[in-house]
Amino acid sequence: MAGQVNIAGLTWDVSIPEVLSGTQRWVLSAMQKHGPELVTMLWRILANEQDVCDAYQDTFLKLAHYQAGQKPQYVRAYVFRTAANTALSMLRHKIVERNRVRMLQTQSTTTANDLNSGLLQEKLRSCISRLPHNLREVVTLHDLAELPYGQVGKILDITPATARVYRCKAVRLLAVWMNKSEN
Amino acid sequence: MKTQQKNRICKDIKSRLYTALSKHIGPDAGWIQRHIASCPKCRNRLLLSSRVDVALQLIRSQPHSLDLLMRANCKTVSVLKHSLRYSSKAQKLKEALPEPTIFERLRKYRSAAANVAACVAILLMMKAGMFSSTEKFQNDGKNALRHYYASRVGDEIADEIFPA
Repeated sequence: MAGQVNIAGLTWDVSIPEVLSGTQRWVLSAMQKHGPELVTMLWRILANEQDVCDAYQDTFLKLAHYQAGQKPQYVRAYVFRTAANTALSMLRHKIVERNRVRMLQTQSTTTANDLNSGLLQEKLRSCISRLPHNLREVVTLHDLAELPYGQVGKILDITPATARVYRCKAVRLLAVWMNKSEN
Repeated sequence: MKTQQKNRICKDIKSRLYTALSKHIGPDAGWIQRHIASCPKCRNRLLLSSRVDVALQLIRSQPHSLDLLMRANCKTVSVLKHSLRYSSKAQKLKEALPEPTIFERLRKYRSAAANVAACVAILLMMKAGMFSSTEKFQNDGKNALRHYYASRVGDEIADEIFPA
């Protein structure tokens, strides 16, 4: 980032570190750098464009107000974890709301079909939102954001091997739950 | 420094071990496939997890609209403080569209690159004399066989089988 300083009647361009400048330009840099990946991840979790925009806005607002405007040490980790948590809590609210509406409906909607891809996706999203916190984060980052285990480990501060184990446990749970919800 | 190097070597060995082992104990290994074919419990387990994989693939394959990033950026920038909102970077973000990564961009050149690599490999092999060595081995083998036949059935028949 470049600033301007007036010395001896002349204007000089000086580079000022982004963190020290106090302008929080690093928020925009983070948006530029991680925005596309975040939007993809949020879209895969929420499947609704309005919700994606809301979660995205919420994430960067939290980043801008993190510890009175301080830059977090690991922006990428902060942004991904915040976005995933925000999106998943929104998803949980949506599921609760949807279930309430379904309960009120007189007609039963038991038209479950093996080939109904929309239903399958909806079921998986619902099951992911029920996973324990550590497993849910790994599935979200590895399977929905498509980050390699190394990066997932860095973001969650665990080893890649642990991330692999968590993912394996998560898939086993998801498989059982998806089968149960069908029966 | 030494500890770092040790750690790196350890990490490298672990990843190599994992790759080597996954060929023998991964889901595609022959003995696992044979076991699955005969074990209903494992077959059921595999079926259930493949259902999760299919659902994940379906979620990943759903595209979002092209301007979603732009809209999300606009919405976010509009609530940031004034100094950020009107900066040139913010204006750029408001018009940002998702761009393919460098790997995705280079994917179309993959087959061409593979062909070039194959040609280079062949040239290197020719340069290193690999082909002339192969020819030499072939001639030596032929001579040995001819010699064997000549000692067993005579020179005439050997000449007929292996003409000069």
